[in-house]
Amino acid sequence: MNKLLLLALCPMIIALLGLVPRTARWLPKIAAVLMIIQLPIVGWLCSLIAKGEMLAYGPFVMDGIGTAFTVITTLVAVTSMIQAAMILPAERIMENPRMTDRRFTLFYTLSALFILTMYAVPLATHLGYLWIMIEATTLMSAPLIDYHRSRGALEATWKYLLLCSVGIAFALFGTMLIFASQHGLPGGGTMIFNHMIKQAQAFDPRLLRLGFVFCLLGYGTKAGIFPLHNWLPDAHSEAPSTVSALLSGALLNCALVAIWRLSQVMLASSQAALVHQLLVPAGAITVIAASLMLVSQHDLKRMLAYSSVEHIGLLTLAIGIGSGPVFILQAFNHSIVKVAFFLLAGNILYLSGTKLLSKLSGILKTVPLWGILLTVAAFAIAGSPPFGVFISEWLLLSKTFAAKEWLAAIMVIVGLTVTFIAISTHIGQVLFGKKINPLRSAPVWGWAIVPMSLLLISLLAGVSVTPSVMNMLTNLVNR
Amino acid sequence: MNFSLIEILAAGSATLAVLMCGITSLKAQLQALACQTALFAGICVLVGIQQHAEHFLILALVIFLLKAIGIPLFLGWSSQRMGIQRDTGVTLNPGITLMMGFGALLAGYFLTPQFAVQSAGNPICAGISLALLFIGMLLMITRRLAISQVVGFLVMENGIFLYGLTQTHGMPHLVEMAAIFEVLIAVLIAGLVIFRINRSFEHIDVSKMRTLRH
Repeated sequence: MNKLLLLALCPMIIALLGLVPRTARWLPKIAAVLMIIQLPIVGWLCSLIAKGEMLAYGPFVMDGIGTAFTVITTLVAVTSMIQAAMILPAERIMENPRMTDRRFTLFYTLSALFILTMYAVPLATHLGYLWIMIEATTLMSAPLIDYHRSRGALEATWKYLLLCSVGIAFALFGTMLIFASQHGLPGGGTMIFNHMIKQAQAFDPRLLRLGFVFCLLGYGTKAGIFPLHNWLPDAHSEAPSTVSALLSGALLNCALVAIWRLSQVMLASSQAALVHQLLVPAGAITVIAASLMLVSQHDLKRMLAYSSVEHIGLLTLAIGIGSGPVFILQAFNHSIVKVAFFLLAGNILYLSGTKLLSKLSGILKTVPLWGILLTVAAFAIAGSPPFGVFISEWLLLSKTFAAKEWLAAIMVIVGLTVTFIAISTHIGQVLFGKKINPLRSAPVWGWAIVPMSLLLISLLAGVSVTPSVMNMLTNLVNR
Repeated sequence: MNFSLIEILAAGSATLAVLMCGITSLKAQLQALACQTALFAGICVLVGIQQHAEHFLILALVIFLLKAIGIPLFLGWSSQRMGIQRDTGVTLNPGITLMMGFGALLAGYFLTPQFAVQSAGNPICAGISLALLFIGMLLMITRRLAISQVVGFLVMENGIFLYGLTQTHGMPHLVEMAAIFEVLIAVLIAGLVIFRINRSFEHIDVSKMRTLRH
């Protein structure tokens, strides 16, 4: 059997179990356990990669970028599913009998398939399969957003489905243009990235450039690059928090991996200037626009969504200046902290029944532990030392200065400053002030373990980035 | 000027797309969509004959059965169940949209040299596929009902497939099949969501869904 297929084993079991409504009572726990088993599996696969083994299944290859994002997706998926096992059954008791067994287990099937498609995207080394997998992530995740079946959730689902489908249609057009740009090659061209990079000099530059622009529009919609980010805050705020964590921590990365792979083809075809001209301003503008929109937020999860948009801007900038290691590092750090933050927001939403910033206050007095974790998460996401986000943002800025992109660097600095102020003001409002009356009781320590361990990982990532780690990442990218 | 049969069929589909901009009856719109997609199946057969490749015939059959018959029937059935017949449009009236549809066709014509692959022949098809892309977007922007937006999306998708069919030396057919399949699932999910919108909002007027603010 192909070793790469092991990656799909646990999610597949969850997906199949979810088809049986009778499993509803114990499925959350089983799913959490199965996802924990995923950790040693991914670890083993990574150790094989480190030994230099090639893992491939058809067009799905575990190359450098693929391995890095498999690790990130695994961490995000495992932590989200563990938290889901705690919070979803508790939530369900509140919602009964509107939430039937069938709907509940179907949620697990779709989540598992969603995770599976998100594994497939960074591993797809074929232009066509990459597109198919990204479209599949949209299809699998759209019903997840509608889990609570409120009007807001429905509106968000519709917006997400429609905008991302149109975006992905643009990406399909771009894919076809890139394929058509190989009309001069014998045999009609190829869609495998490695072959494309080798033959890139013979591509028709006119169609290749058009194709890249269309793909950027398409995948940029999916990633939430300003001004194509419209669906993102709605979907992130209306989805259940564990799904928001998956969307923000893993899905957005997927679309950016696609842009990264395409940018590699562009570089090989001596079109670096276009990549630079498009992605650097796009990233810088996204950072500053998101930071300005962060200021006027009145909803905790919406605020987190805009913070994700800001980090997407940073990642786009990292691709634009062509720095693979910083791209991976920043994606890792953002995903880890953002997942912790979303899960904490989910806890608070459960406890207080509201996510409106104006109605939340005094969390530090009501539930001290969550309050402290929220403070730590806010500092970590806003990029304060010694957390991982600080290091990767610092590296990104120094690379941007080294690339002589003064304007972009200044815009990013302004954006990050505004973000820091906005997030600390909003979170300060949630933390201090009058103690609120909790709507329900929740196991404080149990629900805090996952966010706490994620924040610890972020702290470790912050103190352990040394030149040797960066060298390792550089080697990984060049594989 | 001599036109190939492929170009004539493509031109027919573009005409239908422009007509769709002016149609407000949902039923007529779905019929136009079905005819348009059937024309694509025809183009697919012609391309298959030209390139002596059998898999284009299978592709044509799949397009005809799923996209030209299946999807319009499904959308027609859903709109009937929800009791919806007409889409009056949101910002622009159908007449003006029709004119803009012609504009899109013109824009596609002028952009042809940028997008066409000379060695593939049928350069006009590149312009037409761009025009279909624009018209699909126009339909999505100007229409009020969720179902009409799906129709606009399908017109866009048709334009993209036309480009893939006529300007490349045949996309890998597994990719093409998977893409068709995914469009089908997307339409099914959209249909389900539309049903749910209809049930909880008692209308499917997207322009009135404004709970979420920025």
